[in-house]
Amino acid sequence: MTTASEPYVLNIGPQHPSTHGVFRLRVVMDGERIQDIDMVVGYLHRSMEKLAEERTYTQNIPFTDRTDYLAAMSNNLGYCLAVERLADVEVPERASYLRVIFAELQRLASHSMANGTFINDAGAWQTPLMYMFREREKILDLFEMTCGARLTTNYMRIGGVAFDPPPEFYPAIESLIDEMPTRIAEYTELLVDNEILIARARGIGVLTAAEAINGSITGPMLRASGVPWDLRKAEPYCAYDQFDFEIPVGHTGDCYDRFMVRLEEMRQSVRIIRQALDGLPSGPHKTEIPLALRPAPGEAYARVEGPRGELGFYVVSDGGPAPARFHIRAPSLINLSLLRQMAVGAALPDAIVTLGSTDIVVGEIDR
Amino acid sequence: MTAALDPIRAARVPLTGAKLVIGVIALVILAGIAGGVGFLVVSGALDGHWYDLRDLGIPIAHLRGWLDEQNKAQPAQLHDLLGDHWISYLTTALIGAIGILSFVGGVLLVLIWVERRLIGRIQVRRGPNRVGPYGLLQPVADAIKLIQKEVLIPNGADRFLFFLPPILVFIPGLLVWGPVPWAPNMNYLDLNVGVLYLIAISSLATIAIFIAGWSSNNHYALLGAMRTVAMMISYEIPLSMALVAVVLMTGSMQLSQIVQWQADHNVWLGALMPLALFTFFFSSTAELNRTPNDIAEAESEIVAGFRTEYFGMKFGLFYAVELGNAVAVGAFVTAFFLGGWSLFGLEQWIPPYLIFAVKVSSVYFVLVWLRGTLPRFRLDQLMAFAWKYLIPINLANTVLVAIEVTAFNHSSLPGVVSLGAIGVVNLVFTVWVARRWARFLGYRPETEHVLHPSLQTQVGGLRAAERLRASS
Amino acid sequence: MSSIGIVLGFYALSGLTIGAGLLVFLSRNLLHSVIFVILAFIGMAGLFVTLSADFIAVSQILIYAGAISVLLVFAVMLTPYASRDNPNSLFAPAGILIGLGFAGLMGFVGMRVIWPQLTGSDLEAQSFTGTVRSIGSMLLGTYALPFELASVLLLAAFIGAIALVREDEA
Repeated sequence: MTTASEPYVLNIGPQHPSTHGVFRLRVVMDGERIQDIDMVVGYLHRSMEKLAEERTYTQNIPFTDRTDYLAAMSNNLGYCLAVERLADVEVPERASYLRVIFAELQRLASHSMANGTFINDAGAWQTPLMYMFREREKILDLFEMTCGARLTTNYMRIGGVAFDPPPEFYPAIESLIDEMPTRIAEYTELLVDNEILIARARGIGVLTAAEAINGSITGPMLRASGVPWDLRKAEPYCAYDQFDFEIPVGHTGDCYDRFMVRLEEMRQSVRIIRQALDGLPSGPHKTEIPLALRPAPGEAYARVEGPRGELGFYVVSDGGPAPARFHIRAPSLINLSLLRQMAVGAALPDAIVTLGSTDIVVGEIDR
Repeated sequence: MTAALDPIRAARVPLTGAKLVIGVIALVILAGIAGGVGFLVVSGALDGHWYDLRDLGIPIAHLRGWLDEQNKAQPAQLHDLLGDHWISYLTTALIGAIGILSFVGGVLLVLIWVERRLIGRIQVRRGPNRVGPYGLLQPVADAIKLIQKEVLIPNGADRFLFFLPPILVFIPGLLVWGPVPWAPNMNYLDLNVGVLYLIAISSLATIAIFIAGWSSNNHYALLGAMRTVAMMISYEIPLSMALVAVVLMTGSMQLSQIVQWQADHNVWLGALMPLALFTFFFSSTAELNRTPNDIAEAESEIVAGFRTEYFGMKFGLFYAVELGNAVAVGAFVTAFFLGGWSLFGLEQWIPPYLIFAVKVSSVYFVLVWLRGTLPRFRLDQLMAFAWKYLIPINLANTVLVAIEVTAFNHSSLPGVVSLGAIGVVNLVFTVWVARRWARFLGYRPETEHVLHPSLQTQVGGLRAAERLRASS
Repeated sequence: MSSIGIVLGFYALSGLTIGAGLLVFLSRNLLHSVIFVILAFIGMAGLFVTLSADFIAVSQILIYAGAISVLLVFAVMLTPYASRDNPNSLFAPAGILIGLGFAGLMGFVGMRVIWPQLTGSDLEAQSFTGTVRSIGSMLLGTYALPFELASVLLLAAFIGAIALVREDEA
């Protein structure tokens, strides 16, 4: 004989301390177990893709900043690569190296935030987050030094980068890269063998390699499930083939593996930045393009390995100054689609921890 | 990193000459005071007189004697009706009550500031520093902000039941300070069932929290209240069992007797019974709903648990009582396990209540440290820990302590040797039993998976993934 | 009862207990009734203190006001429509009659039986320090068998509760 209980609906609403943005989860729960999850997105829809059809290609670059606002450089890079492929524009080598440096700096900042908020969801009252934000602040200061903005950088241009970094940039980034390994070692010591974190994140939200590939998952989530796939190695863009780095691959695909993969990627980013800085060639930082670029009619798709996964930009041109169609393949939306599979049957705290480990940014989901 | 880009390091202030001079003068004055006090103590000029402020109970005792003499001069009918001591009883009761109330109130105000600044420093930031020098007026600002908020009652909530819990939760928070022994003669409510009284009063808070959650007419609140009640009643049992070990060892439930036992035998019960200390401390964090056991108000999941719908000063009361209870737990850990006001004979020189206050602050500091650093456990992990680990191990510990106490009372060895033997046996028992029991229940650390990700240079798809998994 | 303090305390606490008891069945909302029951328990604990039964008083608070009240609130919560108005029911006259009869019976018994009591000077003559030791030695000495039987009964209740709520593992 068991007491009859009926399921109830809990609305983890758009305003909530842990949904990483305005994102709504309707959870049907039976006691503490989740029976069904209904995800409601669209609270941050700003119709970027439609607005982009009224603006020139260069005017669309600030839009891409604001899709994934925590990884603006990667967005800029993807879009510029797509338009360059469409319009057949050559990029000078210095610009490629600078793009790599800034993309990897952005990866460091984004992974600090992702790991910090993940541990926040697991319960540590913002202490690891504050530690990781120390370094993120320095990286954002570097961005501000170069392009004037911390978050919505608008730095890459079609044909190169917007500005050459000022002279005070180089000693600053040197000292940051020098101290970064000790900082990452600090986070490792604080968090990696932490029994409570292992108890909270091991075996939670498991995604096998087959399930991940079936669901089109990309990025650290895919690598944590055991699939060694990274666009920087598979389809190298922007001088990545000249650098020596490795991709971390997890074993079981649970939340703890995703956390470890992101931490290891931070170490590899430091390696790449060091090599790029050492080998930075001189030369122009962008090629001159007309103010209103009119590429030949056609379509192009370019993808970069953003911090959250494969960030793809699909641009269609009809010969005019504005794109005819502009679509962003947002990794957060596609990674999120498997949340239901991972969280049904788990308890509510586990679902929140899994959501934290998928590392979503709602600006990207809703565009 | 250049100074301009590292604001924390850039703000360090150098040590000037004026500061050095002031520091030296302060040191000299302090040394003078210490020397003067030392001379007074050694020459025995203070012992037992009414101005012996080392133990505030002694002036109160003198006051009581003086009031009793005044009492004899009252008219006869009053004497028959009310008895011999009513003036002194009333006066000392009032003084003690006002003392405890002002202490608890003052402590609450200070704690809000201390907790936020401490957690700020643990998190590599400064904590509140805008309101007043070093942010010292922050509690005043918080109180004013909370008081001037609009009184909102959620739709469908029961008015009577909604207003009751903040009061119900504050009453045990005050009552629990009664039996705390500050000094050999400073006890407000020296009950001879003091230990049981403590457990009883702390169990009153459970019902208040549950009513708070239920009356809010809100899913989050109800979920939080259920979690809280489940956790609090589960952890009351290991709490009581740890205290049973203490009572067995000292032979009394009276808090002043427990501290006196520790003073007489020159030993701290925490050193003798580490398992009881750990169990009491951990169960107290669960009773207090503090990290690592604060699943009931896990901000990242259920907003604020049972407190979600409480605004303004009602929320302020909940928050303040939680902090006040944290210090009360510090006081109990000190009294039971850390020797209370005794410090191996130093309590002649330093006022015992200052020793007590320092110990309480250090336990509170450890509580804040844990809160700032550790993530939180999940509810079923907490329940499993209480029922499957803490309760059986503490049961075994009770039997062991009973055997040890009998042996200790009948042994003819000098006290130090037997106590040392008891301490060593307890420590070995704790470690050995914990490991054996964990293995018995299925904890196999050597079969845990490899923790670190492997580093690859070749990319691939599903087949590469399977090859990797087969090789690891 | 010789001193004025105990007399005052007795009247105040009895007033509290009886008042809370009255409010239990006079309130419309079932959950309010539970709150007043808790108040009645605390009043009872106070009455135990006036009788110098310190251990029993604190145990009353611990067990009744601390644990059984939670049980009552859970039970009320699982009752559907617990907060509704309690309308007049058909059973009211019969209930009143039975209640009055019961009260008369208990009052008769209470006033006619000779209760042994220790008051005032007799109490001090026995140098009464506390009940804990005497209760302990009686529980483990004279009344050891009922004590053990009670604990076995509790264990059976424990096991029964777990068996009842276990989900059938197919």
